[in-house]
Amino acid sequence: MNKQVLEQMLNPAALAALSPLFTLCGGAMLLLLADILPGLAKLRSALFLATIAVAGWFAWDNLGAPAGGHIFGSFQHSTALSNWTLVFLASALIGWAVAQCYYQSEEANFLAEHDVLILVATAGMVLMAGAGDLLTFFVGLETLSVPLYTLSGFRRARRESVEAGLKYFVLGAFAAGMFLYGAALVYAATGTITIEGMRAAGAALSSPLALAGFALIAGSLFFKISVFPFHLWVPDVYQGAPTPVTAFMATGTKAAAFAFLLSMMGSAGSKPLLPESAALVFAWIAVITMGVGNLGALVQSDLKRMLAYSGIAHAGTMLLAIASGWHDTQPGGAQNAILYYMGAYVFTAGGAFGLIAWLESEGGPVTMDSIKGLAQRRPMIAAALALFMLSLGGMPPLGGFWGKYLVFSCAVRADMIPLAVIGVLMSVIALGYYLRVIINMYMQPSAATSQHPLAARKGSMLAVGICSLMVLVLGVMPRWFLDLIG
Amino acid sequence: MDSLTLLVFLPLLGALLVALTPKSATGAQRAITLLTMLVTMVLGLQVCLDFNGASAAMQHLVDVPWFSLPGGSGVDIPVHFKLGLDGISVLMVALTALLGPIIVLSTWGHIHERVKEFMVWLLVMQTGMLGVFLALDLVLFYVFWEVTLVPLYFMLGIWGGERRLYATIKFFLYTLAGSLVMMIGVILLLYQTKTADIEALMNLAPTLDSTRQTWIFWSFALAFMIKVPVMPFHTWLPDAHTQAPTSGSVILAGVLLKMGTYGLLRFCIGMFPGPALDAAPIMMVLGALGIVYGAFLAMAQHDIKRLIACSSVSHLGYVVLGLFALNQAGVRGSVLQMVNHGLSTGLLFLLVGMIYERRHTRMLDQYGGIAKVMPLYALFFGIAVFSSVGLPGLNGFVGEYMILLGSFQASPWIAAVSVTGVIFGAVYLLMATRKLLFGPLTHAENKGLNDINWREAGLMLPIVVLCFWIGVAPNVFLSRTDASVDQLLSRIDAQRAKVALVEPHSSVPSTAATIRAGETR
Repeated sequence: MNKQVLEQMLNPAALAALSPLFTLCGGAMLLLLADILPGLAKLRSALFLATIAVAGWFAWDNLGAPAGGHIFGSFQHSTALSNWTLVFLASALIGWAVAQCYYQSEEANFLAEHDVLILVATAGMVLMAGAGDLLTFFVGLETLSVPLYTLSGFRRARRESVEAGLKYFVLGAFAAGMFLYGAALVYAATGTITIEGMRAAGAALSSPLALAGFALIAGSLFFKISVFPFHLWVPDVYQGAPTPVTAFMATGTKAAAFAFLLSMMGSAGSKPLLPESAALVFAWIAVITMGVGNLGALVQSDLKRMLAYSGIAHAGTMLLAIASGWHDTQPGGAQNAILYYMGAYVFTAGGAFGLIAWLESEGGPVTMDSIKGLAQRRPMIAAALALFMLSLGGMPPLGGFWGKYLVFSCAVRADMIPLAVIGVLMSVIALGYYLRVIINMYMQPSAATSQHPLAARKGSMLAVGICSLMVLVLGVMPRWFLDLIG
Repeated sequence: MDSLTLLVFLPLLGALLVALTPKSATGAQRAITLLTMLVTMVLGLQVCLDFNGASAAMQHLVDVPWFSLPGGSGVDIPVHFKLGLDGISVLMVALTALLGPIIVLSTWGHIHERVKEFMVWLLVMQTGMLGVFLALDLVLFYVFWEVTLVPLYFMLGIWGGERRLYATIKFFLYTLAGSLVMMIGVILLLYQTKTADIEALMNLAPTLDSTRQTWIFWSFALAFMIKVPVMPFHTWLPDAHTQAPTSGSVILAGVLLKMGTYGLLRFCIGMFPGPALDAAPIMMVLGALGIVYGAFLAMAQHDIKRLIACSSVSHLGYVVLGLFALNQAGVRGSVLQMVNHGLSTGLLFLLVGMIYERRHTRMLDQYGGIAKVMPLYALFFGIAVFSSVGLPGLNGFVGEYMILLGSFQASPWIAAVSVTGVIFGAVYLLMATRKLLFGPLTHAENKGLNDINWREAGLMLPIVVLCFWIGVAPNVFLSRTDASVDQLLSRIDAQRAKVALVEPHSSVPSTAATIRAGETR
């Protein structure tokens, strides 16, 4: 038995598939060590970047590797997983770069822990995306969540940050409980916890017990991707958490939960686990989520809060692709569409939050009023923020447009045209608030002068620069990324 | 580099150059913009002069693979960067290229703040508009179509009048709603045919299931009808026009609205002859209603700019009417009228801008007797008005006459209603002219107005020359479009024959039959 376990763990294919995960975990441990060893503390940034780079290289190397299960099927490798890993790494990198120089003195002492937590959370994301069974997923989920609870409350001198951490923790624990309960019910109905096993379970999948279980699992995933009716925590937590953490949380967490939802809902060549009647449920949830997100965003004055609501709307849009998974004639259509959408979203929302984090150094929260006349004061920042807003709104030729295009093509192929039409009309509402940001920056006279001068932040500048470039490249050269997705 | 690729991206290159200049170097920014627009104009007119009007085939083709979109069942839909010129686009490209430098020159008078940004948007706009008319790939077309929204949004929002924010949001969201519904139509069409090539789609789209064709037709038509704008969707236009800076209005009237009529012709009629025939009566009625309603709206205006905006609704009603007459006279007239409207309404907006720069009011009752102090201005204004009204010898007459002829062949009743628009058109434009130019000089402020200067006269002169040229020798222009229009109409005729075969003894004279009856002359 022991020998068998060892064989499963140590065969080259399994090691290769797990290499990004191992790298992230190993990097986190090295960082912790370096922090307590004398003289090594200044290696913090180099260690973090090296970890991300090596993990990225492994993930890139894995792109063409044959798909399959490892370690008794608990970790499923696929090209999509490598792509998702790259998305998580990008999200971690953006969050980290924005965080440089963001924290004040008392928090700056714990920056090593901050970086370690980001790496561990990223490892959790990889585990979630690659999970082949419900328990592995749960381990991944908790590996992601616990660091994020801590990170949300990282500015412990500030009430809002602590409140955000607590709120996220209480509701997150509730969602985790829901997931476990659901997993137990599914196990009771089908006798298995692996996704492959469930796929083979046949009629047992449609039993009321299994359906109740799946509903609970879906609920906990909806919590993570911020979909109606589990979206209410999002604005408060996004607003209260330190902005770099928000950038990471808004993009990475959402991507990880979507990755697992997709593997349950049938990636390339396999049917969704849930019966066909669920398609309509998903579709309606998607539409309601879009409505709630867009209408909520329309009335916000705080930019972080507005982006939180807009994130809800984007999650709803992506859910539309999942809802069309049952009838989509393109194998892996939803997977590709959501990967592209999420890839573009990581750079767009990541860049936007990055800019907000940067602008916060002028003092106070970034609101619709505080950005008035920004184009005159800081033309480059205003231009970048306008670019991100237009991409979030899905204007070509920017990255967000192709994501939107691909998601709505899924719905059209699945013959859900009325839903697609509702979806696009929702994005007209969305443009209403994205344009308001641009109006305030470009078409309004300058607001009261800022309390502090804008801090020079190389990390933020680099992150925003890369994000803007990626948004443009994703828009003008979609081929490179579509080829990558396969 | 291929001439069309260069033509499309040259303005964008200029925009990058302008963006690199320091903010205070307004002279350099204006110079670069003007130079880029002039080179673009020369290139564009050269391409259009090289165009062989005897052939209906696409000319100056550029075709580079761009990327692939998933098309269902594992099939990839190749998307190409494909540009080409045919008889339907040639006049529009020429018009866009020609108006470019004129618009830049007009900004000397009214854009004094944030010059750099304005010039950048002007050049980006030019790339987008040329791209729309030249694109031969549906996805590429859609990208260019949406790209044109953003520059005008900024032009209106930053340099517009006092209610600019309201107008800019209204314009953007209105148009966007239409284009997004069109996006669903594009996706559906691509999914059904597995190609994005417009030439291939011309043959494939009519073979689709007819209800599906009808849906796709209307999803396209809605976007184009909002852009034109056809009557019930016109409410954004007067606001946008009134609030836009002069150059924005000229772009809007001169080129942007034509994108809608161009789309109706190229896509709705060109790709879906069946649904186009079915929709023809509705579209003709909407066109006729637009003509009359727009004219009444214009008559009630006190704001000269708003008046011209409403007259646009009326004049574009003619274009829609002619297009959906679906016969040679109507479609040829419409293609010409698109250019005519661009020239004469563009000229009117330029003139209104010039007087606004001097007096800072657009209210008609603030003027009167201007002809005494500004005789040259009055001359240009008169030419513009007569061109717009459709006086024989000027361009408007040829287009309107052909359209009315075509629509009379298709449906005498609709033509009879539309022809009243010519009278109303003369009424409101001549009334406005009288209030503006003639009568006693009642306002003291108007006594010291300077007549137009060399720059202003120079930039209007090419338009005036063209107005006369088209009026006297329309065949020079029409001959380039005929082959393509005939090819398009032959497809419509084939569809008519097919319908006739299916229902040979239909007792109720179907709408298509009415049009058929009109055709046999």
